[in-house]
Amino acid sequence: MPPTVRLRDASEYPDPAHKLFELGKRWFNYDFTEPPAMSRVMAWDPEFGGPHGRAMKRAMGPGEFTRAEKEMVAAVVSGVNACAY
Amino acid sequence: MTDDALWYEAALVVGITNALNVVADAPLEALEPADTSPEVEAVYAEIRAFYERAVPAAFRRLAGDPGYLADVWAATRRAFSDNRLPRPFKEALAFAVSVTTRSAFGTEFHLHELRRLGVGERGVLEVLGVTQMFSSYTKIADTLQLEPDMHGLAPVDRTPAPGGEARPAPERAEAP
Repeated sequence: MPPTVRLRDASEYPDPAHKLFELGKRWFNYDFTEPPAMSRVMAWDPEFGGPHGRAMKRAMGPGEFTRAEKEMVAAVVSGVNACAY
Repeated sequence: MTDDALWYEAALVVGITNALNVVADAPLEALEPADTSPEVEAVYAEIRAFYERAVPAAFRRLAGDPGYLADVWAATRRAFSDNRLPRPFKEALAFAVSVTTRSAFGTEFHLHELRRLGVGERGVLEVLGVTQMFSSYTKIADTLQLEPDMHGLAPVDRTPAPGGEARPAPERAEAP
C-alpha cells in the first residue's frame, strides 16, 4: 500500500530541517542517501518533531539498560503494534 | 544485538508473554480447579520456585489439563531463563509487551518481576519511555502508511540454525 502522503525529498525542506536530518544521520550512525521517512515526517512540524525526537533520544540513551537493549524493546513494541515500518 | 539468536530469543519471550496474558486477562476464573492433582502440584512447585510467589492465574487456569500445563510451563521457563539474553532484560521485554497490549495481568506481573530481579525505578521508567515513544512512532507510521526504509542498517547474520551446517553466503547478482 502506498504512503498516505507524498513524502517530500530532503531538498524540499527548509534549512532548519536539514539540521534535524544531520542529527538523525549521527543518531543512526548511517549515511542515508535520503533521510528515513520518519525523519522527514518529524521534520514536517519541528515544534512537534523537535521535542518528540528529544524525548525519544532521552528514552533511548544508555541507563540501566543499554541502547542496544532499548532498540530491542523498541522493535518488540513495534512488532506487538503490528507496525511494519 | 546483531546476532539473530538474540532476536529469536526475544521473539519467544514476546510470544509466550502474550499467550499467558490473554488467558490471565480473560474472565476465566471458573477454569481454576479447586483441587489439584499431584502432577499439577509438581508443576506448581516449579512455578513457585521460579517466581518466588504464588502460582499466577495464567497457569492456574490451565490446571484442568496437567499435560498441557506442564508443556506451557516448560516453554515459559525456557523462554524466561537466562540464556543469551539475561532474565531481567527478558522481563523488560515482557513488561513492554504487556503495557503495549494493555494487559493488566502482564503489566503488574512483569513489573513485579523486574523489581524482584533488581531493576530499579530508573530502569522501569526507561522501558516505559521506550514503549511510549515507539507506540507513538508506530501509529504515526501506520497512519501515513510509511514503508520500511531502514533495512540496510543491520548486517545479515549468516550463521546456521543451532546444530545446523553453515552455508556459503549467496553471491551478489551482478549488475547487467
